[in-house]
Amino acid sequence: MATSIIGHLDADCFYVSCERVRFPGLKGKPVGVLGNQGACIIAKSYELKAKGVKTGWPIWDAHKLCPEAIYVKRDFYWYEELSRQLVETVRQASPTVEYYSVDELFFDAGPLLKSRGREGISDLQKEILKETGIPVSIGISLSKLLAKLASDSAKPFGIDVAVTEDEIQALLKGKPVGDVTGIARQRRKTLNSRGIFTCDQFVKADRRLIRKLITKNGEDIWWELRGVSVLPIATSRPPHKVVARGGSVGAATADRLRIEAWIIRNIERLTDALEHHGYVCDKLGLMLGYKDGTGSYGTAVLLGPTAYFEHLAPIARELFETGYKTGKKVHYMHLIAERIQFKKDAQTSIFQKEPEKSLTGTANFVNRHTGRFSVRSAATLPLTDIYRDDANEYDICDIYGKTCF
Amino acid sequence: MCAGLAIERRNVPDHLIEKYRLQDRITSRGGAGEQEVHFLFRAKVPLLPVWHERNLDIYIWGNRDDRFSRLPKTGWCRMESIAEGKWEGLRPVQVEIPCSYGLEKGVWFQVVEGLKGILVRDEKARPHVYILTQPASHYYNVMTRHDRMPVFLGRGY
Ligand SMILES: [Mg+2]
Repeated sequence: MATSIIGHLDADCFYVSCERVRFPGLKGKPVGVLGNQGACIIAKSYELKAKGVKTGWPIWDAHKLCPEAIYVKRDFYWYEELSRQLVETVRQASPTVEYYSVDELFFDAGPLLKSRGREGISDLQKEILKETGIPVSIGISLSKLLAKLASDSAKPFGIDVAVTEDEIQALLKGKPVGDVTGIARQRRKTLNSRGIFTCDQFVKADRRLIRKLITKNGEDIWWELRGVSVLPIATSRPPHKVVARGGSVGAATADRLRIEAWIIRNIERLTDALEHHGYVCDKLGLMLGYKDGTGSYGTAVLLGPTAYFEHLAPIARELFETGYKTGKKVHYMHLIAERIQFKKDAQTSIFQKEPEKSLTGTANFVNRHTGRFSVRSAATLPLTDIYRDDANEYDICDIYGKTCF
Repeated sequence: MCAGLAIERRNVPDHLIEKYRLQDRITSRGGAGEQEVHFLFRAKVPLLPVWHERNLDIYIWGNRDDRFSRLPKTGWCRMESIAEGKWEGLRPVQVEIPCSYGLEKGVWFQVVEGLKGILVRDEKARPHVYILTQPASHYYNVMTRHDRMPVFLGRGY
């Protein structure tokens, strides 16, 4: 199942909250957690923040604004302990969790929101408080960066769901671009110099200008803020055992070219899905279902973990050549990527050469700008009749976010 | 050194509040936080909460105004001076001073379990308590800018 609704969970004044778990007397009081040297404030309670004290300040500057503040020595072992409890609690509700930092995580909020609505999110927030004692704020939106902005605006102990166009507009309106993760001082200055001060101005700006001003990475930010998820949730443990793409091929057919076109079509979808999740696989399966109720299934181990179209397509063709029972009418098929792991964790094989210039990369790049799947392998040409049909339901599971616009 | 300390109000039994007229020392840090009882050396009568013989009680803190000729005119006892035998004639007994926060040069810092102190008696056998001190750790020194720190029960600085 693709991730289309992303949650960002951010613990409220995490270190202080951790201290309040074991020292409840600190609740409701101005508290500052001091860093390794005892000089600087590395975390502060909302009561201390309300006095104008900022993180990073030396204790003596803070003292002038808030003489009644209580200072606590940091204890990272304890914070890590609670941090892990936090992640585990969220994993109960959503198995797809990215442990982003000690007090922040991203999770797939789609299933929870779909089945239980906003109450489900609110219950998760209560459950975390009950299980760990840590108050958190949760932002729900269509991309990681939007979800992060949403949780920010919900602080403290709030929930902000921004999934409709209006909600996203409201979230972005007037928000300084510098608030967005990835837009640090230099980039902010560059954008400001072009009259881009707020997030709503940023998303309205021309994509090519953004790319020119703050590079490809800045363009990713632009897509993300437009609700197009381009930064996948990177869990360290892949939540999927397999990723499969396929389904019915419409009217059953024994036309080899047409069947092959469907296979390539599904490999395109499969590579797209793998890329979205940041996965690679090192085993590929092809399952063909025939009109007469029988079927065939074959697998091939790849030379190494990959998600490249260039690697997967020839293997799929081979599987078809060896597995297809000539003359039988194919009714449905599945392309199955097995032995999934995260690309960032995968050992690259010395046997499998990285494509010189990845076709997958190029196709994805163009598709991002022109609409998904507008660039395809030429082998899918026999299927133009299917592609033209807007009502075609095959792509439902390919919609991870707002990808076509 | 430690010029004062605070203990959560709920940890001080009502009868002690009444008996020692601690109402004036009950204070809050604003907001929704729990009330605390503050024991400051600069108070009209300096007092300290003390665990002594399995009882929590309130005793006089040192001998600030030198009204008790037999006792050192201070509120603190250096560990080094105990080792040197300077307090021997007073037969000091070690006691525990429960508190949640300590005060040093205006900075309130957390105290996890409490502080160590010594109890000695004046000419009328009334108990007085001194806070034990030691050279400050680097951390404590940076935090409070003081070169002496109290001797902590449990985790310190
Ligand atoms: Mg946080």
